[in-house]
Amino acid sequence: MSTTVASRWYVVRLFSERIALRLPVAALLWLAATLALLVGIIAFSLTVGSQPTSLDEVWRTLSGETVSRTIDNVVWEFRFPRALAAALVGAMFALSGAALQNVTRNGLADPSLVGVSQGAGLAVVALTVLWPDAVGGLRPWVAFAGSLAVAVLIQSLTWTARGASSVRFILMGVGVAAMISACTSVLMTYGQIERVLSVLTWLSGSINAANWADVQMLAVWSAVLLPALLLLSRSTAAMRMGDATATALGAPVRWVRYGLITTAVGFAAIGTAVVGPLGFVGLIAPHAARRLAPSGVGLHLLLTATLGAVLVSLADLVGRTLMAPIQIPAGLVTDLIGVPIFLILLRRAARRTAL
Amino acid sequence: MNMIAPPAVTVRTGRWLGLPLAMGIVAATLCLHIALGAKFVPLDVVFEALTHRDPANFNHTIVWDLRLPRALVAIIVGASLSVAGALMQGVTRNPLAEPGILGLMAGASFAVVFGIGMLGLAGNTAIPMMAAGGSLGAACLVYLISRWVPGGATPLTLTLAGAVVTAFLGALTSVAFLLRENAFDSYRVWLSGSLAGRDLSMLMTAGPVLIVALVVAFALARQITALAMGEEVALALGVRTGWLKAQLLVCVVALTAGSVALAGPLGFVGLVIPHAVRLFTGSDYRWIVPYSAVVGAGYLLAVDVAARMMFRPAEISTGIVTALIGAPIFVYLIRKRSR
Repeated sequence: MSTTVASRWYVVRLFSERIALRLPVAALLWLAATLALLVGIIAFSLTVGSQPTSLDEVWRTLSGETVSRTIDNVVWEFRFPRALAAALVGAMFALSGAALQNVTRNGLADPSLVGVSQGAGLAVVALTVLWPDAVGGLRPWVAFAGSLAVAVLIQSLTWTARGASSVRFILMGVGVAAMISACTSVLMTYGQIERVLSVLTWLSGSINAANWADVQMLAVWSAVLLPALLLLSRSTAAMRMGDATATALGAPVRWVRYGLITTAVGFAAIGTAVVGPLGFVGLIAPHAARRLAPSGVGLHLLLTATLGAVLVSLADLVGRTLMAPIQIPAGLVTDLIGVPIFLILLRRAARRTAL
Repeated sequence: MNMIAPPAVTVRTGRWLGLPLAMGIVAATLCLHIALGAKFVPLDVVFEALTHRDPANFNHTIVWDLRLPRALVAIIVGASLSVAGALMQGVTRNPLAEPGILGLMAGASFAVVFGIGMLGLAGNTAIPMMAAGGSLGAACLVYLISRWVPGGATPLTLTLAGAVVTAFLGALTSVAFLLRENAFDSYRVWLSGSLAGRDLSMLMTAGPVLIVALVVAFALARQITALAMGEEVALALGVRTGWLKAQLLVCVVALTAGSVALAGPLGFVGLVIPHAVRLFTGSDYRWIVPYSAVVGAGYLLAVDVAARMMFRPAEISTGIVTALIGAPIFVYLIRKRSR
């Protein structure tokens, strides 16, 4: 086994060069750094709140010791599941955005901008308002169906004789999102007030109410969807060069596209089902990952996921501490951060393709 | 036997005849609007109330104090928003231009919410002024963003900039709401675009401004036709384009701000009506602008009737109905353009 340093990549050669691995050092370092940052944010978010807790007390509580009944309760029942849910949801929205951007080959695609999140929103609001007796476990499935329907609708509307294209997809998404939001508003005004109130905070993208059941659901679905996305990522690399090239290289383009749409919708739908629509995370994280370090598709996805987790954890932390005791839903914070970044991306995208 | 009718003359009489016809339809819708509601007022009672008011008659009170103000608001707001949309489509040469889509509504709503909540302003003059400031700021912001993007202010960049500014201001408005929850409870309905519970006091302040802006729009219509053919054509025809654009901006801001102050943000009205009108009038703004005013007034009256009657006894906001009708048309327009 020997190792050589090539300018940006670290190449590992095994078994007299029968297997050679190119390791993007910068990307691996960034991955480690963002993971450390994530752990730091989660640790900090466990200490702040209406019941201030020292880092030492948090650590002892997490390692199983009972410091005091209150702290034990606060950390285990409220702050820890909330922090984990924020991180998981951030990773899911980020991955959804990355997959959508790969399918549409449009750097401006984001589940909340093109109506996929709104589709999940409408489905969940409909379930809560019209059939309140339905089982809560149905929620992710209903959200998934709603998102998928919207994704299919937009894709079919965008596709014309000249083929599907970039910015039109976004504009179409804006229109469809407006209509779906109007439908949601109908349900909100027409529905019974107590049922409506129960979905109101959810709709602005709030992680307040996250509990262990939510964390469990997010973790299970991530464990299913993330490997699927990583499996698809090999063909995605070929598809970046255009459909014709990808087909020539032996990638099953059509099936990969269906697969990517389904996983993108899945990630966005499960995330939305738990915390509500969170805007712009799926837009920012993939771009930031690409800017930070050039890497292969798989590592790019992992870096995207950790960046998304950092972003939403931070948004949730800022939202609940900045104006305490008033809690600003994380969705609003990500909107406020996301818009300026979207504009910068729009400027860069326009320069390259001249819209 | 002469088979060839003079086409130009036919079209012209058609356009002239269409206007009173449209006004007649608006008048009929107005009567319907006043008659229908939680309590049905028969049409002959409506006429009687409008001509000989009897303060002791309960039906007459309903007509004069509840239904008529609301109908007047619907008429003037529908006309204003449609004309504002027509003007914007002419100036930007963007078929998707509309006060809602290009962010002017979000600017006005945010300014009103911010002014009431943070600065403690209120009242019939302060609210329209704040709305005007907000929509002017948003208009400039959207224009600057779309200029800043390489490629310039194309329909696509304008629409994207509008959508993004709307998202940003919407989030800021929600934050303002969260910070002063109690102060805003009564504005929740207003913010979804509603004509419910309007009284005449705001109409007294905002109405005259809107009427002046409408008259100015009629006066400028001829030059917009030139402008819509392109900047060079307009200059060659002797239009001072810079001055005209400034006048139109003031006009659009006044129309939007007055409408938002009266009825909250009503999306897509300014998009739908000018396009519908164009089917009949062609591309001459001397006809598009007045027809937009009349048809827009009738449209909003009809939408308001639908909003009140669809889910009785609950009432959904008028803004929701206009979005439900307008968004599919928006999607259709994008699809048609990109073919």
